[in-house]
Amino acid sequence: MLDLIDVFERADTGLLMSDIDYYMKRFVPKLSEIVDRYRIKWDRQTIVNSDDDLADRVFQAGVDLIVEAGAYCPDTNRVMEFSREEILRAAEQAPKAARFGEGREAKTMYGRNVDEDSVPWIHVGGGIYTTKEQIYLDTVEGLASIGIVDSLSVPSILHLRGKDARVRSPQELLAAIKTVILAREGIRRSGRAGLPIINGISAASNSVSMIAAASPQFGLRPSDGFLIDFLSEMMVNYEALQKVAYFNSISANIGSTSTPMYGGYAGGAEGVAILATSYLIMGNLIYRGNYHYNAPLHQNLRISSTKPLLWAIGMSNQANARHMRRPVVNLPYLAGGAGTKMYHYEMAAYMLSVVPAGGHIFSGHPAKSVEPDSLLPKDHQFHAELGLAAARYSRKEANPLAGKFFAKYENIIKNPTKGFRYDQVYDLESKKIINDEYLRIQDEVRAEFKEMGLEVLPS
Amino acid sequence: MDQNELFDHLKKAMVALEPEVLVSETAKSLEAGIAPLEIIEKGLLPGLNTIGELFENEEIFLPELMKSAQIFQGAMKLLQPKIKEQGVAAEKKGTVVIGTVKGDLHYIGKNIVKLLMETSGFEVYDLGVDVDPFAFIVKADEVKADVIALSALLTTTLVGQKDVIEALEGQGRRDQFKVIVGGGAVTKSWADEIGADGYAENGYGAVGLVKSFVG
Repeated sequence: MLDLIDVFERADTGLLMSDIDYYMKRFVPKLSEIVDRYRIKWDRQTIVNSDDDLADRVFQAGVDLIVEAGAYCPDTNRVMEFSREEILRAAEQAPKAARFGEGREAKTMYGRNVDEDSVPWIHVGGGIYTTKEQIYLDTVEGLASIGIVDSLSVPSILHLRGKDARVRSPQELLAAIKTVILAREGIRRSGRAGLPIINGISAASNSVSMIAAASPQFGLRPSDGFLIDFLSEMMVNYEALQKVAYFNSISANIGSTSTPMYGGYAGGAEGVAILATSYLIMGNLIYRGNYHYNAPLHQNLRISSTKPLLWAIGMSNQANARHMRRPVVNLPYLAGGAGTKMYHYEMAAYMLSVVPAGGHIFSGHPAKSVEPDSLLPKDHQFHAELGLAAARYSRKEANPLAGKFFAKYENIIKNPTKGFRYDQVYDLESKKIINDEYLRIQDEVRAEFKEMGLEVLPS
Repeated sequence: MDQNELFDHLKKAMVALEPEVLVSETAKSLEAGIAPLEIIEKGLLPGLNTIGELFENEEIFLPELMKSAQIFQGAMKLLQPKIKEQGVAAEKKGTVVIGTVKGDLHYIGKNIVKLLMETSGFEVYDLGVDVDPFAFIVKADEVKADVIALSALLTTTLVGQKDVIEALEGQGRRDQFKVIVGGGAVTKSWADEIGADGYAENGYGAVGLVKSFVG
């Protein structure tokens, strides 16, 4: 496989072109040709694909997209080109497991196959904005206290002396450090000090803040996981490559992260499925990620629970499972607010799309991830249990069930139900749930899911 | 062929995204003696409006929207010399300066808004990403803009929107431009808090806002 210096040099020596030419003359026309070449077509009905040949064609299409479009480095205005052989080698040699955590919490996340009935990795939380240190600590402690959880995404807290830090400012760097310290403390309070944080580092928007806050004296370790994302479609900037250089130098777990946009340069469901697959390959080829955060998103609605996206996300998991088997967690950006029925319906459809497709469990980000203090640990426990329930189904069995859940929220997807905030549900002193309506909704949903054919067993 | 048929052909060629057909239909319309501004108003813009609706309904996506803007420009290349020759000025719908604020490098959302505004007939000047607050004002002055549109995806970059408004206030010129805000991290309450003139959750909303200001 190409070594990292070779990869970095591609950003300095590739074809010089403007970003708009890259999209208009390379990415968009090539992707369109590739969709036709491999006859990738979504039938507008299926949520969970079970056609292996189609999944294989999506993988081949993902390879072709990297060969023919390459990645783009906006810092040098150059196209990073890779040969088919280099790409296929990166796919063949992609890590099939990642070891996270310390002490008795240490555990290995394996890549899963389609229709595999093994217990998936259980990841909960989210990098959602939090307003107060106490809520931050209590949220993290609550998430880490869920016994079946294997790893956490911790929220972000950007407040310093009552004000939010500005991007790239010294305050942001301090806020990133504060996030890490608080997160580790919240986890320690749960009695599971070795539990890994695999969304390092939610409050750091740039490489300097991220590398600074990753320093071991603040509590993160190479056995946690550090996210490195693609800036925009196929865009790899110097900041990302700086993180690649650093986190590979300390042999840390790297989560390559991609957010292909439905309705953006990739177009619709077919383009997103292919692009998401390309990212899964590039995550190893360029970033050396040993796990992947797969986060396709609707450009306007800013959620991932629409029907075409559920299909596309599942499809990229299947292409990965059948050809690379990288460990993948998928980010569910959901429209419904925390604690609402809509939120849980969306989560059920999402889990049924990704878990039988070879993905792992990740609990839902409510309210389009914009509502502060909206991570409610009991929701995430339910979602973890829901993911385990979804793992009992094959893709073929999951499809009609996912359709039933999708039908429950389809008509309100543009006007989602508002949800609860942490301090509306939990007592900040006793840390107990004090909101009966919240509890009632979850009980009703659990009973309703059983009636619909998805029994979610309490952990 | 009567004029309405020609307008219909122009619209169809626009919606079908056929650049050669659109250029040839534009040439035919000119040969038939139709004024260039009428060709734009009754043939090309209705086509672009349909494309906008198709985009909103998720029947087409950003690549098609980009192509529509390109082929519209192709037809305009034929029409602009005639407009100049005849000494008539196209009725300006409004001018927008758009960009992603300082510190924020995201641009897909901003590009969609830009294209939707262009295909709705507005003149749009795109300053790109990571834009200095004063650069918005300098450009808005230069092109006599009606609206400054500010995009921000991240919570930590929202403040860049506030900076532009503060800079306008500092220069005593806050009323000179309408300022609209949008992007992943932006909410209505944030827009209200910083005194923006409008907030839109998506590209279509942004076009509606601009129309309400300059229409």
